Amino acid sequence: MHINVKLFATFRVGRFSEQKREYPPGTRVSGVIEDLQIPESQVGILMLRNRHISSDQELTDGADLSIFPFVGGG
Amino acid sequence: MSVSSAERYSRQVLFPGIGAEGQKRLQAARVVIVGCGATGSTLVSLLGRAGVGTLRIIDRDYVEPSNLQRQGLFDESDAAESLPKAAAAARKIATFNSELAVEPCVADLTPENVEDLLEGFPLIMDGTDNFETRFLINDYAVKNGVPWIYAAAISSCGVTMNILPGETACLACMFPESPHGTVDTCETSGILNSAVNGIASVAATEALKFLVGAKVQLRRTLLTRDLWFNDFAELDASTPREDCRCCGEKEFPHLAGEGRPHISLCGRNSVQIHERERPINFVEIQSRLEPHGIVRFNELILKFWHEPYEITLFPDGRAIIKGTTDVGVARSLYARFIGC
Repeated sequence: MHINVKLFATFRVGRFSEQKREYPPGTRVSGVIEDLQIPESQVGILMLRNRHISSDQELTDGADLSIFPFVGGG
Repeated sequence: MSVSSAERYSRQVLFPGIGAEGQKRLQAARVVIVGCGATGSTLVSLLGRAGVGTLRIIDRDYVEPSNLQRQGLFDESDAAESLPKAAAAARKIATFNSELAVEPCVADLTPENVEDLLEGFPLIMDGTDNFETRFLINDYAVKNGVPWIYAAAISSCGVTMNILPGETACLACMFPESPHGTVDTCETSGILNSAVNGIASVAATEALKFLVGAKVQLRRTLLTRDLWFNDFAELDASTPREDCRCCGEKEFPHLAGEGRPHISLCGRNSVQIHERERPINFVEIQSRLEPHGIVRFNELILKFWHEPYEITLFPDGRAIIKGTTDVGVARSLYARFIGC
């Protein structure tokens, strides 16, 4: 199935801003995070079309997933 | 040299968004800045130069040489003296705008003092470097209906968001959970000075809009801007989330101090003991510590070098122990030399 993945802030470095990616049916959000080699502890926001979700949410074909990091320095 | 207000603010008043009426509002305004590192320095500098009448600056740390690359309010003499950042900031403001009322607070914002330190300020600016303090500010702000502006940066990327309680999303609407485990910091990932100063400039501009009443111009998104990779993005933050524990359910666990550690890692190689109710007599403790190492102090901090550790002690009993990331070692040093 196709998942449209949008990354934000520091997660874009060395990856991409937005990309359609292919995953097997039943893939959860945590599977995408792992596939992208993003440390889960650094994930601050997970959204499906502006709705907050958890990392164990199962994705469906055509899902629009946004992943945003904790940015805390100052 | 005395500078008239008319002359000082003449260029800013010419800008239609501010004007003479807006300038009057700025000069009557009260803003509290929590944290005076890189974002805080820029916020203080820009808001102070713009003529915001009263600035309260809350910061728990002291100036170090590694700050000078990006924290524009401080210089080498501040680092040499290890001045508390809040005090150094107040001293610097007086050199460029002596008209302002500046209230430096050398303190760690905690659930115990948050009401005292933030009450009476209609706008709170984020100059902190951690989410623990930001969630505390957010709980206070939403509970009391006080706007605040989140600003942060790492590497070459800055992030900011306006929080208007009851109107826009709050920090907990956007970040439902506090960070668990390790999160990148300026110490681990580095920081570009223009990135942090740039995002603080955006936040300061939003503050000016709020203070002059240009509410329609306020941004209602979570903004990210990467200066190195020329990247810009926004997430919608225009409405509170219905099931937000803070906006929706009116739960304020950070105000209640739930889950707050009494000891935390601080910087690259330090542990902070969040003691706040242990008044320290520096003269007395100097004599106790001198047999064990070098001691220096002024009215605001005491530093004690006991190889390989450096202990910075504040009058309320708070301590930063440099040279370890082991909480147990830090607790032991505190117990041995300060007492607990």
